[in-house]
Parts: sequence; C-alpha cells; structure tokens
Amino acid sequence: MEWYAALGLLLGTIMLLMGIGMPVALAFLAANIVGAWIFMGGEAGITQLLNNGFGSLTSFALVPIPLFLLMGEIFFFTGLGARMFNAIDKLLGRLPGRLAYVTVIGGTGFSTLSGSSMGSTALLGSLMVPEMNARGYKTHMSVGPILGTGGLAIIIPPSALAVLLATLAQIDVGALLIAGIIPGLILACLYIGLIWVQTRMDPSAAPAYEVEELGLGEKLKLILRDVVPMLSVMVLTIFGMIGGLFTPSEAAAFGALGVLILAVIYRGLTWDSMKKSIVGALKVTLMAYLIVFGSATFSQLLAFSGASRGLIDWATGYELAPIAMLLVMFGVLLVLGMFMEQISMMLLTVPIFFPLAASLGFDPVWFGLIMLLALEISFTTPPFGLLLFVMKGVAPPQTTMREIYTAAMPFIGCSLLLVALLILFPGLALWLPGR
Amino acid sequence: MRHITRAYDAFLTLMAIIAGAMLIWLMVSVVVSVTMRNLGLQPYAWLFTSSEYALLYMTMLGAPWLVREKGHVHIELLTAALPETMQALVSRLVAALCVLVSVILAWKGLELFLTNIERNDFDVRAYFTPKWILTISFPISFALMAVEFARFVFGPELLHSGEAGVSE
Amino acid sequence: QEQTITAVHAFPETLIYTQSFLDFVEKVNAAGEGVIQIDVRGGPEAIGMFQQPDAVRNGVVDMVYTPGSFYAGALPEKDALVASNLTAIETRENGGTALIDEIHQEKMGVKYLGWFDSGVCYNLWTRDAPTLDEGGNLDVSGLKLRGNAVYNAFFTDYLGAQVIDLPTTDVYSALERGVVDATGWTQIGLIDLKWNEFLNYRIEPCFFSTDLGVIVNLETWEGLSDEAKTILQDQAIAHEAASVEALKAKRDADFAALDEQGMQVVELEGQARADYLAAAREKTWARMEEQMQQHPMGLENYDTLIGLFYDLEKAGE
Ligand code: NA
Ligand code: NA
Repeated sequence: MEWYAALGLLLGTIMLLMGIGMPVALAFLAANIVGAWIFMGGEAGITQLLNNGFGSLTSFALVPIPLFLLMGEIFFFTGLGARMFNAIDKLLGRLPGRLAYVTVIGGTGFSTLSGSSMGSTALLGSLMVPEMNARGYKTHMSVGPILGTGGLAIIIPPSALAVLLATLAQIDVGALLIAGIIPGLILACLYIGLIWVQTRMDPSAAPAYEVEELGLGEKLKLILRDVVPMLSVMVLTIFGMIGGLFTPSEAAAFGALGVLILAVIYRGLTWDSMKKSIVGALKVTLMAYLIVFGSATFSQLLAFSGASRGLIDWATGYELAPIAMLLVMFGVLLVLGMFMEQISMMLLTVPIFFPLAASLGFDPVWFGLIMLLALEISFTTPPFGLLLFVMKGVAPPQTTMREIYTAAMPFIGCSLLLVALLILFPGLALWLPGR
Repeated sequence: MRHITRAYDAFLTLMAIIAGAMLIWLMVSVVVSVTMRNLGLQPYAWLFTSSEYALLYMTMLGAPWLVREKGHVHIELLTAALPETMQALVSRLVAALCVLVSVILAWKGLELFLTNIERNDFDVRAYFTPKWILTISFPISFALMAVEFARFVFGPELLHSGEAGVSE
Repeated sequence: QEQTITAVHAFPETLIYTQSFLDFVEKVNAAGEGVIQIDVRGGPEAIGMFQQPDAVRNGVVDMVYTPGSFYAGALPEKDALVASNLTAIETRENGGTALIDEIHQEKMGVKYLGWFDSGVCYNLWTRDAPTLDEGGNLDVSGLKLRGNAVYNAFFTDYLGAQVIDLPTTDVYSALERGVVDATGWTQIGLIDLKWNEFLNYRIEPCFFSTDLGVIVNLETWEGLSDEAKTILQDQAIAHEAASVEALKAKRDADFAALDEQGMQVVELEGQARADYLAAAREKTWARMEEQMQQHPMGLENYDTLIGLFYDLEKAGE
C-alpha cells in the first residue's frame, strides 16, 4: 500500500470512529485491529497489539501520573486545597482572575520539578479546576491555563523528554535543558498576558467577588497557617529531587505521602474523603491508561505501515529555502503529533530532521528546542492531544470536550508565538551559556 | 437471574477496589524502596517490578468498572446533533461496535494467554515472571468490558447523553 | 523472482549498533538484487523493543535485530553469549553459532542468522575514584550502582552492590542528581549517551559481551529460494567478521576521546582480576543453568555451550 493510502486509512478510521462518539480508547483499539489486520499479517497482528499494549503499560515512566492525581484529589477532598486557595484569594485582594494567575505561576514552578506534562496536568487539573469552578470561573479560564502550563513541563528543565531528545539527536543535554529556561519563562509570561486580556474582554469569566480587607497580622497568620504548610510539601519534593534523594519519577509518591500527612495534621482525612480521592484518581488514570494502551500501537502502526515515514519523506523532499523547510518540518510534527505519541514521534523524526537541520545550517540546540515546542503543542492539539483527555477526566462532569478544545486554542497560540519569536531571535534559546 | 446480576455487579466492584488498592500500592512501593535506598539498604527488586505490573493490573481490572461508570471519554458531536430517536440508534450502534472490539480482544487475549502457557514464556525484568500471570488479565478484562458495553446496547440506559452542552 | 522480507531493529536508528545492522541490510540488498531484498520498517517506533522477538516468532515481521537478552525468557541460552570472551568469528568457526541457531529454531521457531557487533565488552564506570581492599578487590559498599536485568546476577550476587534498576533513558538525570554514581556499560556508547559528563573512572578488566543478533521467522526462512538463503547467510557471516573490526576501531576512537577528557583507568590486578572475571562469567552461567532447567529441553546443551563460547585460557591472559 502507498504511504498516503495507509495514512488515509488509519487516520480516516480513527476520525470516523471518534466522530460517531466511540469512546476514544475503544476507537484506538478498533482502528488498531483494522490496521494490524492489514499491515501486521492478520490475526498475528492483533496478538501483537495486545503485546504492545502490555509493553507500553508496564513502564515505570507511567507511575507518577496516578500519584500526582491522587495528590491533587486528596488536596481537594480533605479541604486542604480550599484552605490554601481561600487564603490566596484573600491575600491577592481584588485582582480579577487571580486563581488563573496562581495556576500559571504555580504551574511554572511545578514544571521546574516535573518532567512529565501529563503528571503536571493531572496534578494542577485535579487541584485547581474544582476550586476555580466553585468560585464561578468559566471553564476556559480554569482549563486553559492548566493545559498551557502542563506543556511547560517539557521545556523548563528538568525534562525527561528533553534528555531523551538530546540523547537521540546526539546533542548536548545540558545545552538543550538550559536553552529551555528563557523560552519557558517567556511562554509563562505570554500566558499571564493572555489571561489579563481574557479577563479584560470578559470580566464575568473570572468573577471579581468582594473580599474583605485584611490587616498585616491576619495576612501573616493566613500565610503561616494555610499557605506555607501546603507549599512546603511541594518545596520539600523539589529539594528531595535536587538533593538526589529520589528521581523525578519517584517524586510524585512523596508528594502524595506529604499531602496525606498534612491531611492528618489538619484533621481533614476521613474514610470518606480518602475513598473519594482514590476513586477520583483511579477514574482519570484508567481512562488515560486505556488510551495509552491503544494509542501506543496506533503510533507504531503509522510507523510500521510506512505512512509516517512516507509523509516525512514527501514533505522534506522539496528543495526549499531554510525557513520554509523549518516550517515544513514543524508542520509535519504538528500533524503527526495529533495522532502519535511523543516518544515514537522523536524516534521517527530525529534521524531525518536533525541531519536535514544541520545541512540547512540550523543550530542543533535551537532546532531541538523548536522540536520540543512542537511536541508540547501536539500534546494539547485537538482532537487527540492526550492532555485534553486527562483534563476532561479531572474537570467537572458537565464540561464538554468542545469547551476544552476551545480553552486550549489561545494557549496553543502563545506557543506558536514563541516559536515565531525563537525564529526571529534565536538568541533567546542560545544566549544562556550551556556549552 | 437477579442474584446472578447482583453477584456480577459485586464482582465488578471488587475488581475496581483491587484496582484502587494497586494505586495505593504504587505510592507505598516507591516510598519504601526510596527510603530503603537512602538508608543504605538494598531495596527489594520486587518493589520496583511490582509497581510496573500494578499499572497493568490496575488498568485491566478497573476498565470494565469504568465502562459501567461511563468514564471512558468520548466526543458527542454527532449524537448531540441528531434527533432523539436517531440518537438512541447511533448510541446503541456505537456500544455494539465497542462490544465487537472487546470480544475480539478478549478472544485474542485468551489465545495469547494460552500461548504463553504453552510456550512457557517469561517476562524478564528483575525476575523471570511467567507471562500468563500478566496476560490472563486481557481475556478477563475485555470479556467483562464486552458485557458492560452490551448493557448499553440492550439495556434501558444509553452510553451517550446526546447533550453536548451539558454532559459530553 | 525477487523476494522481499520485512525487518525491524531494537534500538533507535542513530545508535551505532543500528547503523551496523543497516550496513548489513545495504550489503544484502546490493548482493541480492533480483533475488532477495530486506525492507526495513523501522526501530522501536515501529514495534516496541521488547515486543520485537514475539513479533518475529508470530510472523508479524520477518527479521529482527535485537539483543538475545530481550528474549531471555524464551531462550536462557543467550547467556552463553553474554558471558562470552570470544567473538563471532571464532564461534562461527568452532560451531558455537550453529548450535545457537539450532536452539533458536527448536525453542522459538526462528533462524539465528548471525551474531553481529561481537567483541565489545562491558566496563564498570564510576564518578569517584573506586576503592580497592587489601586484596586489590573492588569495594562497592559506598557505590550507588545502576543495574538492569543483564548485569544484576554479577553485580548483586558477587559484588554485593546496592543496585538501582533504571531504564537507560533515566540514567543521565540519575547521574546528574547523584541518585546513582556508577553504572555498567559497553566500551562503546558512553559519549553518545553523554554519561561521560559525570563519569570519571573506568574499571578494567572488562567483562561480558554484547549479544546482538539477527533472527528470522523460520517459516519465512524456509520459504526463501536457496539462492536467497545463501546470499543472506554469506552476507551475515561476512558482516559478523566486518563488524568486529569496525567496532574495535570505534572503541579505540571512543577510548582516545575519553582519555583526552581525563577519564582515569583503574586496573584490577592479579588474583583480584581473576576473581572478578570468574564471578562475571560464573554468576551468569549459574543464572543460565537455573533458567534452562525450567524448559523442556533442560540442560542438554549447557556444557557444550560454555565450552564453545568461553575460552578459559584466554581469560587467564
Ligand atoms: Na520540567
Ligand atoms: Na500527541
């Protein structure tokens, strides 16, 4: 089969099935059965599908996600989250959309420790969305910033994906990690600017309810009682990682343990709150992991059938000016990213893109960062960005998928703007000395 | 018949409870193994391996329950646009497709499980674990998912709400 | 009439071992024009690295290039290659490779076409200067050693090390943060992984061997024309020898580059050295023996394999 026929068949099947309302995980599995039958030799291909799912699920890299979810759920159901956000609400006074800013700032801070955007989204989503919802924020105000900062985890170091990319592309790991700092901070600033614009355009999206003025003593008391202990869990987790006590993948377990201990101290831990937390974390985890189970093989089918390689070769086969070539590569990443899982994408594109980038005279570290941004964007691109589904899982039940898609759009716009900035001013990535 | 249904529902709930226990086990195993390491002790390798296996058991044991809870995310663009009778038809059709997918995977999963026994296959990590202990979760999970989706084909309830604006 | 078979490789395309396999494919496709062609479908992005052995057994793909350790459960005999101190050139000549092929056919239904990239062994690499006891033995008590399924029999059982199992992709950040400060790795590749940023000492002697080989679905193999089989087998035997030379050159280049950056070499001497090497092979053989017993074939080939894949006299050098 020609590559475009294979591509059309695989993408067509999945889009059709999702379009008629098949659960996403099942749609992937169904498309895999069709694809495995055609490209992997009939029945043996379906057995392969199960073996692949087994392989992709039993990987320690997936451990942090349920634990970050558990951490967020415990925060919420034991009332610790409400305590902290009430306090922050009072401390920040009247600033409209303050919790959205808190999300971006907290999320940026959290990204510095988390290397996994699914983990970050899981934590921030389960922690912040219910609180913001309770305070009358519109969905796009709560969901959008979290989707945005979830992606920050990839570019702001430490980032497991950046290390893997540097290793595959044989570029300096340290240089790539450091190159992500300034662009990461710029992106966070763009998000803040976006929220400011959004709250100006639609003040009702983030209700500016009255809060009482507090004296200095009361403020201090609030900080010490309701903010510092909660933040200290995160801070201790960060120090544990910096100090080499545990790896980023292991940190989530200590975060969850820390929140549990806090909940005991603040007498919020009841049998009921514990049960609700576990059920909440479990639901999102199961939903996301069954999608991982299905999408891992879907990525592999795109590669094995020659569809994705055909697309890449076709797109990069034209003689274009360097800047046009860069946009073509970026476009290919975005298209693949809608349907493929990130590590498979890197394995597939790195051997082709990096030599090509070198022949065009691009700095490999700078190009690596652009590629990371494409991966980050693809994680939140409708219709299949996995973060969108994680978000759907943690958001209140009445939230629609379309609302989540719309909420993600402006933040994807910010990332695209950052890519444009990086193309215009490569120094943003290369200015900090990494080599 | 009612007893059977009730026993079945209880079994599904039990599987979900085990899945929840696996989630807690993830936390416990990581905390214990990191603590041991930092005390200069040799962490048991099974702590690490068991957490990887727990991910599989958790997902497979919990998936049928999540079907019952309508927790597998789907997109309601078409169903929301259709008139009510068509909507019900499409919804039951989609559920039937899900039954088909689950049945195929349950059947191939059973074959895989039997092959693993016949070939004496091992999953090699820190230990040599007989693979059938892990792959047995496939036929069980997908068969029960088929049953749960079948309830949305024939039962009173629909998988889809048809209300895009309210509960997609 | 030209026949085409599909192939996948276990490691990413950029890795040196994959390049070696692609080199072999190129040679086959040149020599096999009009007769046999290999169509490479990709690496772990096309089929997950640990699922590839099953894929070739089940006929999803015709040929796979993978370490034997990725299918250790099905074929514990692969430890004969892991513990080996010979190269594929010698084991091809003494019948070792033929025996391994026979076992592959019987146990897994695959043809073992060739053992590529052999002659590369493993070192222990550490961040801080390693300490030796009075007997000159390596003292690992203070080390935070990264392990995995291949080395652990040796590291844990003999060295008594505190092993931390980590996937290769996590090792960089684990070294960076000091979660681990020592790891085993092949002589080649440390620079590609950038671990040399943190590791400063290489401990000699080296032990073990890489166990990368090409396996072909047996039905596919039997369906090939005699001419195609001859071309594949001849090219594989030629590449077995060529890859030994190529990787020796790469190792010398890597070692020179590491030397220049100040990598220190610590040699174990005399009895300590002999004990270290003996433990590396014997702990691995013990694992092989234990696992072989669980298969219907039992220990049938155990002694023969050890005889064909290990030269005790050479170890004494
Ligand atoms: Na990060
Ligand atoms: Na994606």
